Amino acid sequence: MSNNYDNILLERSPDEAPPQRGVNRRDFLKIAGFSFGGALVAGCKPGKVEKAIPFLVKPEEVTPGVSTWYATTCGGCSAGCGVSAKNRDGRPIKLEGITNHPISKGGLCSVGQAHLLSLYDSQRLIRPSKDGQDITWDEVDRTIIEKLDSIKNNGGAIRFLTGTVTSPTVKSLIKKFTENYPTTKHVQYDGLSCSSILDAHEKTHGARLLPHYRFDQAEVIVSFDADFLGTWISPVEFTSAYQAGRTLDEKQPVCSYHVQFESRVSLTGSNADKRVRLSPDEIRKAIQQTASLIAAKAGATSVSSALSGETDSFIKQLAEKLWDARGKSLVVSGGNDVQSQTQINYINHLLGNYGTTVDIEQPSNQKQGNDNELQTLLDEMKNGQVAALFIQGVNPVYDLPIGSQFGEWMKKLQLSVNFTNQSDETESYSQIVCPEPQALESWNDAEPVAGTFTMTQPVIKPFGQTRTVAESISAWMGEKKSSLELIKQEWEKSVYTRLPERNGGQGLQSSTSGFQLFWDSAVYDGFVKLDIPVTKRDFIVGRDAVPTGRVGDSTYNLLLYPKAAMLDGRHAHNPWLQELPDPVTKIVWDNYASVSSATANELGISEGDVVRVEASGTNIELPAHIQPGQHDSVIAIALGYGRKGTDRFTKIGPQWFEAEPTVEEGGLVGKNVAPFIKFENGTFAYDVQSVNISNTGKKHTLACTQEHHSLHVPKYLDPGHGERRPIIQETTFAAFVKNPKAGSFEEHELTTMWTTEDHKYTGHHWGMAIDLNKCTGCSACVVSCQAENNIPLVGKDEVFRNREMTWIRIDRYYDESPNGDITVQHQPMMCQHCGNAPCETVCPVLATVHSDEGLNQQVYNRCVGTRYCSNNCPYKVRRFNWFDYEHGDEMHKLALNPDITIRERGIMEKCSLCVQRIQEVKIQAKKEGRTIRDGEIQPACAQSCPAKAIVFGDMNDTKSELVKQMNNPRHYGVLEEIGVRPSVGYMTLVHNREEGEWAHV
Amino acid sequence: MNWLNSRLITIFLTIALLMSLVIFLGSYANNYMLPGNHQGYEPVQPISYSHRLHAGELGIACLHCHTAAEQGKHAGIPSTNVCMNCHKFVSAPWVDVKAENDLADKEKRKPKLVVSPEIGKIYTAMALTNEAKPDSTKSLNPIVWKKVHNLPDFVYFNHSVHVSSGVDCQKCHGAVETMERVRQVSDLSMGWCVNCHRDANTNGVDGKAVHASTDCSACHY
Repeated sequence: MSNNYDNILLERSPDEAPPQRGVNRRDFLKIAGFSFGGALVAGCKPGKVEKAIPFLVKPEEVTPGVSTWYATTCGGCSAGCGVSAKNRDGRPIKLEGITNHPISKGGLCSVGQAHLLSLYDSQRLIRPSKDGQDITWDEVDRTIIEKLDSIKNNGGAIRFLTGTVTSPTVKSLIKKFTENYPTTKHVQYDGLSCSSILDAHEKTHGARLLPHYRFDQAEVIVSFDADFLGTWISPVEFTSAYQAGRTLDEKQPVCSYHVQFESRVSLTGSNADKRVRLSPDEIRKAIQQTASLIAAKAGATSVSSALSGETDSFIKQLAEKLWDARGKSLVVSGGNDVQSQTQINYINHLLGNYGTTVDIEQPSNQKQGNDNELQTLLDEMKNGQVAALFIQGVNPVYDLPIGSQFGEWMKKLQLSVNFTNQSDETESYSQIVCPEPQALESWNDAEPVAGTFTMTQPVIKPFGQTRTVAESISAWMGEKKSSLELIKQEWEKSVYTRLPERNGGQGLQSSTSGFQLFWDSAVYDGFVKLDIPVTKRDFIVGRDAVPTGRVGDSTYNLLLYPKAAMLDGRHAHNPWLQELPDPVTKIVWDNYASVSSATANELGISEGDVVRVEASGTNIELPAHIQPGQHDSVIAIALGYGRKGTDRFTKIGPQWFEAEPTVEEGGLVGKNVAPFIKFENGTFAYDVQSVNISNTGKKHTLACTQEHHSLHVPKYLDPGHGERRPIIQETTFAAFVKNPKAGSFEEHELTTMWTTEDHKYTGHHWGMAIDLNKCTGCSACVVSCQAENNIPLVGKDEVFRNREMTWIRIDRYYDESPNGDITVQHQPMMCQHCGNAPCETVCPVLATVHSDEGLNQQVYNRCVGTRYCSNNCPYKVRRFNWFDYEHGDEMHKLALNPDITIRERGIMEKCSLCVQRIQEVKIQAKKEGRTIRDGEIQPACAQSCPAKAIVFGDMNDTKSELVKQMNNPRHYGVLEEIGVRPSVGYMTLVHNREEGEWAHV
Repeated sequence: MNWLNSRLITIFLTIALLMSLVIFLGSYANNYMLPGNHQGYEPVQPISYSHRLHAGELGIACLHCHTAAEQGKHAGIPSTNVCMNCHKFVSAPWVDVKAENDLADKEKRKPKLVVSPEIGKIYTAMALTNEAKPDSTKSLNPIVWKKVHNLPDFVYFNHSVHVSSGVDCQKCHGAVETMERVRQVSDLSMGWCVNCHRDANTNGVDGKAVHASTDCSACHY
């Protein structure tokens, strides 16, 4: 660009007369006069007539303009987090965690937050169809019953292929169905399989189950590539529990010791106290070695080490630490490999963790997939032994390695029924599609952890004519019952009867009205927690029976991993998640082949070079991303991309003359790497050996937000250096215990030209404190803010141009040591609501001014778009509306928050500390004639945070949690030294590691 | 070539502007206002409901029907079932009913049910017969009122907090109880809001001291 500009300047010599332009001064005035006259005339006509249509008969609990909240369960994955849905005028507009929920404890992840938008997906399937033609439910039922009966008579095999089913109602219906049609078998599998953990427990404990991990009880946490804070089993629950074990209370600080062995950089690894870079194969060896070291401590003979050098000595130290923390440690592995998982069980058994940190008495139901059974089904399908297949909650044509063959096999079935409501890869091969409603439209139930029952209730009148799985199955068994009736029936039979009060004989439960009371409270709370009778299970195999893991290493290994927002690809149609920067790489709208810096140098690859990855007959071309801290032999690629239907995002974002499409016409977002998955030793393996990687010479732009809005002084202003500013205070736990102020930056004497008398905050003075020690960087707050504040999507091209609109971002910093190891810090950054705000002094039109309550207000209507404020903002948190952004497809507009103005083109916006929520609570308190309670106002980011890292409150309320945080020695302000007096403070990041164990630049 | 210097075109454009001014001003002369100011707006409503009769003559309190004003942002137009609380029994003005009764007496027959055309519109909306019984041949038909008091979309006004602070409805809406058809009395401009807030901070509302915020973010977010 700058070169072109120079050329234009050089085209005319300085002494040449300026060229005659088409318009002179008088013409200009004439035109201006006409335009002004026209504008005046146009501006003075009365506005259009606004209509108001009241209810004919108003439902009792609905008042226009007043929100109602309904407790339900998140349908984003099978973890079963509790969700409170904010409903306005009959449509849900925001999901929030239920504070006292036994699973999620009040938080919600980015997927849960974004799940709302999937409800308003205009391309969702909303009516049944047969061979692509819409039909009625009666026709569906007739056809299916007819075919089922003929299959039954011929003895043909019927198979249910589902994802993890946590619903007791659906399970009991499938059981009943099996009684009716005895050739039925139910096969469950997960797109992100944990099958090996269940298989390992079958071996070691005699029951195929997934333990309920208790990270809050663990003092030493060792994770072998399990991304439990990001994507593994139940991230919200684990994040909350993990942080419960790391509370830096001044009196009794506790901080668990977390070691992560991993080959790529996961969100969990980025938070670990000690991160060890190993290849997938070395990880298996590390597990094996840990097992033998622990076994040696427990009395078995020691086994020679398979690893060498530093790692070996570290594992020895670690084994000591684990042994010292017997019963208070937790060892987990994310690898889907039965041998390794068996060794993990052995370690946990020897450490006495079963019964404390590993609960198998009340196990988890969150993943129940069985890869072995799936493989059997695949063989049956291949041999044509299956007559009818019912598919629910999974997309086998997409996420199985032999997806396309699966599609061909489906064509041969006598009957294939798909319950999906997405027009997905498998749907196109299904004869009959019986779309189930979205989770927010229907009644459902779940038992994510044994004894914890959660309730899903509809929060909107369903779109179209969908039917839940339970309703469909019951219809095919000849009794047409609604989901509500079916769940009530099931709960009366199997939940209500197990209530402890019932056994205690309080009398209430004996009548039908007793059940109704129980039911009402369950619907109101969204969950019921029962103490179920405990089944004791013992470790049943001896040391010798624990197998050694598979070995074999190669120059390059391919690792397939789930991304925090995209998981197994089921949410690929959700643009909020597509545009959410990955917590570690900060890349949006793509998957890519991550390689370490050293490998990239060796292969001569630079960021965005399209590389060709080949393994066992499969190959793929993807852009490369250079990931510091990754193991040199590993190429990591995210699953869940390349989904059918993502071509809809071609036109997302402003369509101006320079705009590049987010995806090429007819193209997809990213590429599907499922064909690389291998079925090996009874499970699906996500790492592949003997991989070839080569540079194709092509380029593909990756949009990465990390370098945008940098707080450091840019190089062009400080030639040669690019000053790095102290932004994150960091220390070790040992140093913190000695001196709570450890790690603090040098104190600055702040001079100011304002006197403190200038701004007295006599009423409230709002502020916020963000605990960097609690924040994991999961990015739930980013989506929560997006949903609450009507923040538009801009598309990949605009993100590439630094124009993403999110008000809160998570800055991620690396410290890279010469050997390629990294430590990572995450820091949420939003408007700091400075007391002496630099943006306010430069606004020529007073569009950004300070409120009496210490808020830095942005007045959209005054803003003329000079962008001076943004240039003067040291935190770079202001966002400019370069366009009138579309809010997704027409249906997405239903998700807009009516309490927030839609900003137009040409104005500035930024975090308001959710001033609409402040106003709402203030008004409520005023009406009730009371003061605002501490913690009553929760900005969207703070509400959603699974780790409760964000505290909002009144700095004038001396008893508030916020003031407590501000008086904490760990509290500091980012860039405090420039004297802007931010109202948002941060708390020092404390790692439980040795001094000097990370490289500081 | 400089086409704008052409005198002919200048004259033509001047005439065109004058003509368009005449057309525009002519058609909007009655409601010539500043942009956004609809003071005096008095649209014809689908039912000629009289606030003078209901609130003035019959003395029904505003909040009796506009219940939402106490609860939330919008005072709202009452849902039709609220009308039916009374109009189940009152189907026409008393004078018309009496006239029919007198006529029936004279003609020695049972008086017929009198339904006034305006009240009949409620029955039509609710799919009811003249006897206020459900009529399966009719379909429900919500009443489409014209909104009189409009604030721009970037303003968030909350009725409930003003009502609970003791601000009279008439303070902003004028003497609605005297209006046959509702008219916007105040100009609803920002200056008007802020003046009242300032006044309330100095003089209180209804004898009570109040804090009426004049922060931008009290109304704009």
